[in-house]
Amino acid sequence: MDFNEEQIQRYSRHILLQDVGVEGQEKICNARVLIVGAGGLGAPIAFYLAAAGIGTIGLIDGDTVDLSNLQRQIIHFTEDVNKPKVLSAKEKIERLNPDVKVITYHKLFTSENAFDIIKDYDFVVDGTDNFPVKFLINDACVLAGKPFSHGGILRFDGQTLTYKPGTACYRCLFHAPPPPGAVPTCSQAGVLGAIAGMLGTIQAAEVLKYFTGAGDLLTNRLLSFNAKSMEFRTINVHPNSNCPVCGKHPTVTTLIDYEQAVCEIKR
Amino acid sequence: MANYNLDITHEHCPMTFVKTKIELAKLKSGDILNVRLTEGEPLQNVPKSAVEQGYNVLSIVETETKGVHIVVIQK
Amino acid sequence: MAITVNGKSQDVGAPVSLTELIRQNNVAQPDMVSVQLNGEFVLRENYDATTVNDGDEVDFLYFMGGGSVSL
Repeated sequence: MDFNEEQIQRYSRHILLQDVGVEGQEKICNARVLIVGAGGLGAPIAFYLAAAGIGTIGLIDGDTVDLSNLQRQIIHFTEDVNKPKVLSAKEKIERLNPDVKVITYHKLFTSENAFDIIKDYDFVVDGTDNFPVKFLINDACVLAGKPFSHGGILRFDGQTLTYKPGTACYRCLFHAPPPPGAVPTCSQAGVLGAIAGMLGTIQAAEVLKYFTGAGDLLTNRLLSFNAKSMEFRTINVHPNSNCPVCGKHPTVTTLIDYEQAVCEIKR
Repeated sequence: MANYNLDITHEHCPMTFVKTKIELAKLKSGDILNVRLTEGEPLQNVPKSAVEQGYNVLSIVETETKGVHIVVIQK
Repeated sequence: MAITVNGKSQDVGAPVSLTELIRQNNVAQPDMVSVQLNGEFVLRENYDATTVNDGDEVDFLYFMGGGSVSL
């Protein structure tokens, strides 16, 4: 791949890195990444992947921008309220980096469309805010053999795990979603905005490491942090033989649309 | 073992080393790149960075033009 | 006896069940917490019957997935 002068300038700080260089930047520019969710996590993920020059970014989100999103969904601005999130995000990505091809899906990620959508991408990033879709992303990627980054935030906490076929998946750690009502969703509505940036940017770094081969991915490791104490820890995990989707005796062999908690439906 | 030339006398750091890396990426192992650069930051940084990132700096020679040097790098 | 909980050393009087350890640690979401004991995840139905012994390493993992609810 021949970079033009503008691209050489744009990606110079990547090219300088021994672990990236020209070859690494080429891989980034040829990569196709799907981001599920264009909200709190999706925003920094999309920004940093676009800045890096990821060749194709797919964005799927059925929501429109709401004023309450702006506290942390930094890809959306005040004038974007009521606009579909995927369109608002696409505009900013294209302004940041016109090299990036953005494909938008203004719809929900469901058991019906999951396989069809992920098949066009090399890596999937979970930027969602609800358990049913987190499990759907996990199951779809495990069943399709697609690497992905799991991420979740809550108040002042964040955690993330990277999956590659053969490594621990989300269900190895969390067997099944909490039933709606078991975890009071409304009490989980609060989150310190910057936490989304902290965790989403870690996920973006994992994506770039995946394509360039730099360093060690968070595979078989759950990175967890608490921003109040600023303690970060990694918990070593491994594929669970009891895992319902990737274990010895899988019980999840097709995709499931779990019931959403009541508050989430109100959106 | 082929010989190539690169003139970065008009570049400012860190674009000096960026351009050097881009040229080196096109070469085969064992090829030589003669990098023409100015004293000061480029002369201080480019050879050192090349060595740090695993390239061989065979020699640094002064040219007839004041302040201009050639750094001979082997991939 | 000394055990490790979430990477930190903890003194526990005697071998306890996982259920009791969860209670002692004031675990948020005790019904939903996921537990890894010495590198293996324990099925929830076995928490009562699983004993934590001297030198064991326990990790409590929590669901994190909230944040975007319009009220």
